[in-house]
Amino acid sequence: MAGSGHAPLREGMEMLLTVRDLEVEFPVGRGAVVHAVSGVSFDVAEGETLGIVGESGCGKSTLAKSIIRLNDVKGGTVDYQGHDLATLKGEELRRLRPDLQMIFQDPISSLNPRRKIRQVISEGLAVWGDERGSWSQSRIEELMLLVGIDPKFGDRRPHQFSGGQCQRIGIARALALDPKVLICDEPVSALDVSIQAQVLNLLEDMKKRYGLTLLFISHDLSVVKNVSDRIIVMYLGKACEIGNADELYQNPRHPYTRALLAAIPEPAPTVDVSEGDISGELPSPINPPVGCRFNTRCVHATEVCFSDEPVMQRVGESDHYFACHHPVAVSVNP
Amino acid sequence: MAVPHAADPQLPDPRLPDPQLSVRDLTVRFPTTRGTVQAVNGVTFDLAKGASLGIVGESGSGKSVTAKTLMNLLPRSAEVSGEVTFEGEDVRRLAAQGRKHFWGVKMTMIFQDPMTSLNPVKKCGEQIAETLRYHLKRDKKTALAEAEDLLGQVGIPEPGKRIDQYPHELSGGLRQRVVIAMALACEPLLLIADEPTTAVDVTVQKRLLDLLDALRRDRGMSMILITHDLGVARRRCDEIAVMYAGRLVERAAPETLFGDSRHPYTDALLRSIPRIDQPSHTRLEPIPGRPPELISPPEHCAYAPRCRFARPDCLESIPQISGVAGMHEFACFHPANTGRGREALAANLASGRTAAGLEVAELGGSN
Repeated sequence: MAGSGHAPLREGMEMLLTVRDLEVEFPVGRGAVVHAVSGVSFDVAEGETLGIVGESGCGKSTLAKSIIRLNDVKGGTVDYQGHDLATLKGEELRRLRPDLQMIFQDPISSLNPRRKIRQVISEGLAVWGDERGSWSQSRIEELMLLVGIDPKFGDRRPHQFSGGQCQRIGIARALALDPKVLICDEPVSALDVSIQAQVLNLLEDMKKRYGLTLLFISHDLSVVKNVSDRIIVMYLGKACEIGNADELYQNPRHPYTRALLAAIPEPAPTVDVSEGDISGELPSPINPPVGCRFNTRCVHATEVCFSDEPVMQRVGESDHYFACHHPVAVSVNP
Repeated sequence: MAVPHAADPQLPDPRLPDPQLSVRDLTVRFPTTRGTVQAVNGVTFDLAKGASLGIVGESGSGKSVTAKTLMNLLPRSAEVSGEVTFEGEDVRRLAAQGRKHFWGVKMTMIFQDPMTSLNPVKKCGEQIAETLRYHLKRDKKTALAEAEDLLGQVGIPEPGKRIDQYPHELSGGLRQRVVIAMALACEPLLLIADEPTTAVDVTVQKRLLDLLDALRRDRGMSMILITHDLGVARRRCDEIAVMYAGRLVERAAPETLFGDSRHPYTDALLRSIPRIDQPSHTRLEPIPGRPPELISPPEHCAYAPRCRFARPDCLESIPQISGVAGMHEFACFHPANTGRGREALAANLASGRTAAGLEVAELGGSN
């Protein structure tokens, strides 16, 4: 299997979330299916931030949504504290869902425009009652203060706030049920640069304060590096490379990771910019290439890349894994 | 300390005696039911032939409205004043006269979203040919042949096949290339690109920007690149203008702007962006607050309420843009990276807050 294998799973360590061979497919009619996520394995330790990067259509959002079962999973397991989220149903799934909360890309459309923000933030508490912390006016005000929204605006509706404030409200709503895992799907992409930093710092503060575990999806490689402990790079439904954030950016091994890093408008000085020119278009996820899925655009591709899928392998003894037949040599950096 | 206003003598001087585009004191207002929106306030700049100017700013800073004013794309309700001269012609008079073969021919524009700037029910080739037929009176066959040639020039594989395809059959990157081909059809002298790569992925972005660079060089075309991405502006422009709340607040060559910025907004913006060369979990320095309302904006520096350097005089009048023309201009009473700025910051740190009431602390120790 290309870009699959269990190597990146850190055996012997206590993990909060372990995703194994996750497979997600969407039927598109006439028997065809979109292979959105194919055989991805990774794990997340408690209190860790995992960044998920890749271009549009690489399956990063689908991956995150599958974990909280916003879409159905075709195969694989999602182990969360002894429960398999991939197969859980009904009441059992409902009981676990407050543990995993999500914030979305478009802050304004992810809030119900007809509700007062006090109601928006408190809805989860109203549903769960005393089971997940008590519902009280003071709890709502505390949450609003926490994210930097003045509680006196509690009776306003989402359209009366700016994008940055709406994202703060979204974060308050996610935190209301005291979750363990927070999934952030492009949380700052729609925000202006001067507001981005405010929201990123808020997320870091909340993570420290509540010991949250974060899954952070973004197409902005600088943002992902800033917030993440570990990063997984995805391409066309497969994982290409997983590793510690600083190490991965310093010594990318997969040609695709290198291409991504070289394509940043202001690449790091150590990066060979010419590698940013990957040619061609993203292949269709309905008929993904056989072998390595990156083979149609990779300059290093040889025969083996068109027949065998590379398996995740470890770089020495480090926390760095890649799936490539022709990994790029480690650059010698002082 | 860096030499102030050090600029590369190779750079085109935007104050050339005969600039291609000259904008003087451009002001745009939109009357609304809630009051008059002061979208653009006294924007002045020149652009030399063949040069590229980046306009950066956040949403609502007036960068797109400025571009649309140049392109005569504003709604009728807009109240415009100021002068725009392009190759010796008074652009606003052309607009009043209803001249049709100026925009799209000499001056042209591409937009952020390639899907909405293309007609979904018309084949790509026909859309490009339409421009040629309308402006340059080509016959249908020649126009289509030229369209195919243009698609090849913008790096679209199999142009012969693509001219018969509809926009939805193409990827985002290819669509934006079709839009670029259409904009280039009449060999424009100035291309205004409004966030041309915001809707595409980073690898596609690089290829599109490389393409625009190459086309600009080959054709000697000038370009105004509007973007919110400082990195894009830095790599692709000869000069960068920073806008805030409808005003131009700083203008300089990229090296000067990034290495020796003067306006506290530029300075803060550069500090607030996560950088790829910083280790992960580097604490960001956000800009507090948010941009002002453009309906009845303050009668003082619009950035003062968010500024760490704000002193009492910042709340009394609006600083005008000044400095060494064509090299480094800025609109600030207490510019960053200067003695005046350091004095202002030291005074604010000593009292714990700025003249506008913003609490300030040493950076890094604020949290």
